[in-house]
Amino acid sequence: MKPKVLLIIPAFNEEKSLISTLSVVSNSGYDYVVINDGSTDSTEEILNNGNYNHISLISNLGIGGAVQTGYKYAYENSYDIAIQFDADGQHDISFVPDLIKPIVNQKANLAIGSCFIDKKFSGKRSSIVRSFGIKFLSGIIFLLSHKHIYDPTSGFRAADRKIIELFAEDYPQEYPEPVSNYELLRSKHFKIKEVPVKMNRRTGGKSSIHSWKSAYAAINVVISILILSLGRKKYD
Amino acid sequence: MTRLQLEMSLAAIFTFALILIFLKKNSLSVKNSIAWLLLPLACLLIAIFPDPLAKFSGWLGFQAPSNFFFVILIGILFLICFFLTISISHQQAKINKLIQELSILKQKDAKNDKKK
Repeated sequence: MKPKVLLIIPAFNEEKSLISTLSVVSNSGYDYVVINDGSTDSTEEILNNGNYNHISLISNLGIGGAVQTGYKYAYENSYDIAIQFDADGQHDISFVPDLIKPIVNQKANLAIGSCFIDKKFSGKRSSIVRSFGIKFLSGIIFLLSHKHIYDPTSGFRAADRKIIELFAEDYPQEYPEPVSNYELLRSKHFKIKEVPVKMNRRTGGKSSIHSWKSAYAAINVVISILILSLGRKKYD
Repeated sequence: MTRLQLEMSLAAIFTFALILIFLKKNSLSVKNSIAWLLLPLACLLIAIFPDPLAKFSGWLGFQAPSNFFFVILIGILFLICFFLTISISHQQAKINKLIQELSILKQKDAKNDKKK
């Protein structure tokens, strides 16, 4: 049986890239839901005019709360697989089948699209600060769990039904990817697999992680991960 | 009664009354008022009977009773602030949930309207 797949597309002030991303997404034939996280630009207008399936949050929640809304939607509408997909054109829809494959074959509960596994895909994606941050986080996660995640911050992830249910109930609000990846990594009940993907340069908008905020981001994530490793296993 | 004792008693009574006013106006819940009501009450007691505090602070090794008094006050204020932050975190989580559920409901509603 073909699994029901949903793309969760969080959007905060993405007017520049939204139309091109959404036309690619709707041509692909996958179900999708855009979560408009209280955008102040014309994002809402674009969504309404194009009649794109979307949920408009009545107030800004931040990336974690927006994506979690998508997981709640996926859970309520009984999707088998939910994929986080960026509105800024960073993610390539042609890699969705690769991302779904390990879940369909029951090799993984969560598949992370990583541009660091395959050398030919890495390169232009990130700033020096960001790639250092990713290496640093990856190192800390390896120290604590003895397992490798090459791209713990990747926002291109596919989750199976079990994880959809989990995330609908409980999802980190700030810097959700590294924190939830680590949580799942620690649990015996879930398997994570990294899948090589190509990331594009964003066509518009800004990353939710700005360079001057990266110190705060690093501290926040490290504290979250250290607290998690202090015994409490959330997902067991 | 010394002048200092009198001043402190008056300040404590004034503060206590202020808290009562807000309680009466319903802009402060009883649950949240208790910690704040105890503070001026304790100050009033200390103002009227300063000797036990002075003795106790000397016994603990403080150079002056006032130092001991300040330490206690800062400690209590720290605790109140800390628990306030905890309650903010709880409320944030509840608000998040509300925003998400309401937004999903609104979307469902709009979809149903279109179908009709």
